[in-house]
Amino acid sequence: MKSAWKRNWVGFFFLGPWLIGLIGFTTIPMLTSLYFSFTKYDMFTPPNWAGLANYIEIFHDPKFYSSVKVTAIYVLLSVPLQLIFALLVAVLLNRGIRAVRLYRAAYYVPSLFGGSVAVALLWRQVFDSEGLLNSVLGVFGISGHNWISTPSTSIYTLIILAIWQFGAPMVIFLAGLKQIPVDLYEAARIDGANKFQQFFKITLPMLTPIIFFNLIMEIIHAFQAFTPAYIVSGGTGGPLDSTLFYTLYLYQKGFTEFHMGYASALAWLLLVTIAIVTGLVFASSKKWVFYQE
Amino acid sequence: MKKMIIGLFSIILVISLAGCGSSNNGSSADGKVSITISWWGDTARNKKYNEIADEFEKENPNIEVKRQFGSWNDYWDKLATQTAGGNAPDVISMHPNYAADYARRNTLLDLDQYIKSGDIDVSNFPKSVVNSGKISGKNYMIAQGVTTSGQVVNKSLFEKIGVDAPGDQWNWDHFVDKAIEVQKAIKAKGLKGTWAVDDQSIQYQPVFEYYLRSNGKQLYTEDGKLGFTQKDVENWFNMWETLRKAGAIPDAATVNEYANVSLEQSLFAKGKLAMHDIPGNQLYLYADQMKDSQLEMVRHPQGPSGDGEFVEGAYLSITKSSKHPKEAAKFINFFVNSEKALKIFKIEQGAPGSTKMNDYVKPQLEKGQQQSLDFIQKTLKYAGEAPYPPKGNTELTTEFTNAANSIAFGKSSVKAASAAFMKKAESIVNNQ
Repeated sequence: MKSAWKRNWVGFFFLGPWLIGLIGFTTIPMLTSLYFSFTKYDMFTPPNWAGLANYIEIFHDPKFYSSVKVTAIYVLLSVPLQLIFALLVAVLLNRGIRAVRLYRAAYYVPSLFGGSVAVALLWRQVFDSEGLLNSVLGVFGISGHNWISTPSTSIYTLIILAIWQFGAPMVIFLAGLKQIPVDLYEAARIDGANKFQQFFKITLPMLTPIIFFNLIMEIIHAFQAFTPAYIVSGGTGGPLDSTLFYTLYLYQKGFTEFHMGYASALAWLLLVTIAIVTGLVFASSKKWVFYQE
Repeated sequence: MKKMIIGLFSIILVISLAGCGSSNNGSSADGKVSITISWWGDTARNKKYNEIADEFEKENPNIEVKRQFGSWNDYWDKLATQTAGGNAPDVISMHPNYAADYARRNTLLDLDQYIKSGDIDVSNFPKSVVNSGKISGKNYMIAQGVTTSGQVVNKSLFEKIGVDAPGDQWNWDHFVDKAIEVQKAIKAKGLKGTWAVDDQSIQYQPVFEYYLRSNGKQLYTEDGKLGFTQKDVENWFNMWETLRKAGAIPDAATVNEYANVSLEQSLFAKGKLAMHDIPGNQLYLYADQMKDSQLEMVRHPQGPSGDGEFVEGAYLSITKSSKHPKEAAKFINFFVNSEKALKIFKIEQGAPGSTKMNDYVKPQLEKGQQQSLDFIQKTLKYAGEAPYPPKGNTELTTEFTNAANSIAFGKSSVKAASAAFMKKAESIVNNQ
């Protein structure tokens, strides 16, 4: 042990700042929240041990179920659609068209704003009853609709927002496409494969490790989405809880209703859920991800 | 050599950790004391608070006033986090809707000692105003401004459609009849996207509270239980359902769209509503926005048991965690009793608590502000005391809004939504 330290102390020295951050800002707060999740804690008075009471209460909470439903719809729709969109754009940009850098930058820009307050505010402007979308529809004689303020459509405006921010996976796809050896396409062309076949028989299988990576990242990202729903609904998750994302409900419980113990329990359930989903995707990857080696 | 470097590293570590722990205890070497104040508001209000803090610093060169502010929602989110972290500002702005949550969790200082010592002078405050700052008999808050709610009436719109505007003396049946009459006239004139009144069914506080009080009920009893029954909730929602069916209030989607917009973007400011519920001190803000329209404040409808009025307003409190409560008390006293402060603040958050300051600001007011003050002074005469809500009031408000929304969107019947709300409400109140 002592010799190991002697050999590695320089490494630890350079690791120090990060290590302090990890322990101080991640590990300790996480363990504290794990403890809080077993207590009744209103943030002002000391926490009282409550055992599993919070977890039991969660499963009897109708709002918990509606927030799970909203989040599930959001993850199940926004992740695949965003990835398909990102892949399509990446393939288009990979065809050696002129000014590709300009396009690449232009398509990436929305992701830079990703999750920002300004974009969420902009979204309100687009989908409001007097917003951009209704003005465009008005030109074609279609009468408008309150997209954001109607429970049945509000969640879809947020899904479109997520899809629009396809830049990050697109750039990664683009890098992946460049890695595919050109001779594979040459051989396929000689054998008479058309573009369609080339895409499904070469591009897609060769890209599966990248798809796998993007899928994991975007699933985690989507589970944790907060800002768009918070801004678009004014922090309420309304109308009628139709944009009550899980994270938003967690936030309301903790910071507006002062049930920090309950909110901590919700946070840990989210962590476990994300871990399970990610684990399942990893397990399934053996069946559909192909590595060249 | 190595040992020395390791030693150095540990020293750096210890210093940096110590750095994390050293919180600002508010005193600096030159004997200057610093206190932090915080408030909610918009740009115009921030300017006023800043000027008042500057004046205070000028008068008390040994006290430095640090400032924090945010919009209404952000303010409360931030304050909750700060309070939990033990670094809340010394002087905080308080509101009756939140006061109970903070006072009952033992985070505010009982100001009685500073009132007795004369640091905070409330001798010119009417008894009802002083009492409105008391929770469970303790003085937790000093009123910066007191106000009452009512309906603001767009008189110009009433004239345009040829309907008589309502007066102060009316009951809830008159209110419904008036709204339906107005809507018929609006339709006859062919005005699109204009309604008689906004959907106030979601207004747990204050409109539902007015309704209950005028019917001889309360929102909460003295011992923190619900002061109303399911029948009251049903009657309330049924009244608004009648107006909704008559088209006299906006549809649910429109209501939601405008739920969080700023004052100048609201339906009323755009001239799309004939009547709207606001606190009296905001009348002049609407008047500023609607220069072409003539506005008037009328009282909320009365009921069989008389008046619904109770004292609302904005208050200042000192937090338990304050290291300089005496200086904080001095600041509060300056804010509510000095001409220098009131010359700037005027009726920003209601009529000043002190009658002396009321007389002082009155001649300095513009016409709209004058109207605000007249309304508040007139209605304060009817105002009774409202028991403070129990912990969990915020949660109850959310539940009430949910019930109102599910009725408005047609997702559940009045009966079902009211029953669901009562069940939730009772469990929240009983679990405190």
